[in-house]
Amino acid sequence: MKNFYRKVAFGLGPDDKTPSDPLIWATNQLNDIPEFSWKGKILPEKELRNYYRDYVYGDRKVLRKKFKNNKEGYKREKNKLRHATGQKFWWNLELCIRYSEALKSETPVLAKLWYFWGNHFAISEKDFLAQYTTGAYQREIIRANMNQNFEKMAQEATIGWSMIHHLDNEQNIGPKSQEAKWAREKGKTKGVNENHARELLELHTVSPDCGYTQEDVIQMAYIMSGWRPKWGKRRLETGDVHFNPDAHEPGTKIVLGKKYKRGRKSLSVAITDLVNHPSCRKFIAMKLCRYLITDNPTQEMMEPIIKAWEKSDGFLPEVHKAAVEVAFNYSDKYNKFQNPENWLLQMSKMADVDLIPSPSFMNLYQLGNKPIKDQRALERLMDELGQHPYLAKQPNGWSDISEDWMSPELLIRRLVYAREAYYKKSGKSQTTEFYEEMIEKNYDNPSEILQIINQHKELVHKHVILFNLPETLKS
Amino acid sequence: MKISRRNFLKGSATTLFLAGFNFPVLANTNKKKNLVVIMLRGGMDGLCAVPIIGDKNFEKRRKDLILDETIKLNSDFALHPKLKNFHNLWQKNLGAVIHATNIPYTKRSHFDGQNLMETGGHIPYAVKTGWLGRGMKLAELKGDGLALALPMPLLLRGIPSNDNFYPSKKRLPRTELLKLLKSIYAEKSEHDLANMMEIIANRSMMSSGGTSMSRKNSSLAYKAGLELKKINGPKVAVFEVDGFDTHAAQGGVNGSHSDSLIEMDSIFKSLEKGLGNEIENTLVLTLTEFGRTIEQNGGRGTEHGYGSAIFMAGGLLKKSQVYTDWPGLKKKELFEGRDLNSTIDARSVYASAMSTVFDIDFKRINKEVFWGDKLVNLSDKLFKV
Repeated sequence: MKNFYRKVAFGLGPDDKTPSDPLIWATNQLNDIPEFSWKGKILPEKELRNYYRDYVYGDRKVLRKKFKNNKEGYKREKNKLRHATGQKFWWNLELCIRYSEALKSETPVLAKLWYFWGNHFAISEKDFLAQYTTGAYQREIIRANMNQNFEKMAQEATIGWSMIHHLDNEQNIGPKSQEAKWAREKGKTKGVNENHARELLELHTVSPDCGYTQEDVIQMAYIMSGWRPKWGKRRLETGDVHFNPDAHEPGTKIVLGKKYKRGRKSLSVAITDLVNHPSCRKFIAMKLCRYLITDNPTQEMMEPIIKAWEKSDGFLPEVHKAAVEVAFNYSDKYNKFQNPENWLLQMSKMADVDLIPSPSFMNLYQLGNKPIKDQRALERLMDELGQHPYLAKQPNGWSDISEDWMSPELLIRRLVYAREAYYKKSGKSQTTEFYEEMIEKNYDNPSEILQIINQHKELVHKHVILFNLPETLKS
Repeated sequence: MKISRRNFLKGSATTLFLAGFNFPVLANTNKKKNLVVIMLRGGMDGLCAVPIIGDKNFEKRRKDLILDETIKLNSDFALHPKLKNFHNLWQKNLGAVIHATNIPYTKRSHFDGQNLMETGGHIPYAVKTGWLGRGMKLAELKGDGLALALPMPLLLRGIPSNDNFYPSKKRLPRTELLKLLKSIYAEKSEHDLANMMEIIANRSMMSSGGTSMSRKNSSLAYKAGLELKKINGPKVAVFEVDGFDTHAAQGGVNGSHSDSLIEMDSIFKSLEKGLGNEIENTLVLTLTEFGRTIEQNGGRGTEHGYGSAIFMAGGLLKKSQVYTDWPGLKKKELFEGRDLNSTIDARSVYASAMSTVFDIDFKRINKEVFWGDKLVNLSDKLFKV
């Protein structure tokens, strides 16, 4: 049962009391969205997007022209531009905000589910989105909607600037639209880009299980045509998302048998229909079980989550509570292989690792400079562990399947960074008593675990073994 | 311009003829054969790497990017002067090029293109496994893949238990500790973890011998070569080279495209060094998402294009040759009036390579890895079958 604390959160830290009722402890964290625990700077997405704009414009429109014959000069000036726009700093700041929710907040369960949703509506590696805006997108569109209906999160994520740009919807132009006609007059062809439409169906809502066809994808793309960033000479593709009727495909569209009229409103209506499709709640229930419990969820596990969805009209706090309860009920039967990020946070929480730089230290950063090494530590660490949360390789995010995290090199990273982490602990937590208490609190077989780790004398070795035991790797 | 559209077929017929006399067909079935794929990310400019000789259209459109002192490969094609190691292989009949080829993707997004070069599909993100992983699955090569990268590349997905090597600068824990963990994993029936820990424990002993733990591709390739050489070592290896997206200052011999080509070239050299004689039983292929426009842009770089080239190396090649069904570079011969066309589906080359190295019937690979798409079996034209 004690693995439940690690399954739905990151285990119990030295200052956490063992809850009298674990399930209530967990579900009480899911009603509201508290302020961020991070006490340092937090920038709005819009401001970060402006830094991204300055970088893109400066590189594409200024430097590439100015240094067309000078590779070294181009490199040098581009580096200056990177620092002038905070390219190496912002994502480190975002990681501080992100990990404070796991380690320093009263709501680690909410944090673990935040990471789930950020990955569900993933912004994967593209251009320099990760360095500037992905963290802010996950704060303002994902976390801010975790006390709303799923529909609201889906609506906002779909027309969020990050998602529209990430999935190329700015290139999605109705083939019979005004813009396509103008293009034809100039001898060019413009047409539909299905990318975003397909992911909306496949990854974000109903999943292929619902049986949509390629024609449904195209029709959905027609509905989405015209949604794109407002273009400007200076802001390029970084303007706010709006609906441009000139690029919208005229006529009625049919998706999954339902008709949609032309125009701005049709996307929102279509999303409402998609999130209310039975395949959508089934898909989300399956993914939640897969994230929290096992690679291969059973119908029995998914059922209570689907019921909670139906009863509450997809109200996320209720869906989350149902998922957490299922995780609780199955905690003795199933252990889930933890991805590198959740593993790191578990170790940091339970063993009191000083993972996150302090707000005052991060505040020392000044634009135009290269951040100092320790200000960049988190981003580098996540890269080393193999799971930078803003750099998933594809729009389907990081995998929730154990096998995808099983590779020798990835396991090596857990060994070496467990060791590194030990030396980031305060002296008071570097004692045998500390470890005995922590193991007692967080594991169901404390005496067996102590017996194993005591085969090594030095505390640092005990630490490395503990955090690479099957009991820790799988929670 | 001497080259004609028929050249590819003519050329390969000659090769086939020669093969019958000069190369005794090796009884390769019981030999361990290796396949190495080098992914060139960002769009490799086939016309910069293997420029055409004496084409006025090319010289006119690329006037600031034309290379001096290229290495002549034959009457029609030359080699980028920095590709010295590849040229060395070429001279030993261990290097060849397929030109004017690409995966069937024409939309010029890196994002989608790189996904498709790895999945081998037509619709970006529709397939979640890589063509190489699916091919290995068909050949039952579980545990035989090695990625020289940290996350397992999509290209290798589709078969479990691949190894990867991308060394951390941090020191591994002592060997006793690793052995303890291994025995615990075994006791608790965590077989996958136990297998991995076995690999790691061996690796830790290996690294204490003072071998370099650099992440440079040249160093990784040497290691990979040593592993591939082992009879019970991996049979498939995958590399990544970034930086081919040169919109600006692509330059000539010392431009930014050269930097990435040099990195690729260093892999050829180190692999050969690590493999020793086993280079004879190895096939190395490159893979990219698209080529680049013929026309240089305002920043003396090039934009995303279509047709590119595949570099091939190793003793499983028939001979040194540039294989192509050359489409020409006149405006009307270009793809959408701007790019070198692709006349050979690159997947035909990859399917043929897998058929040769994995000893699996081409038709089965075509059907089960590439969904029965119209691919051409080039095995006996390109490789020693």
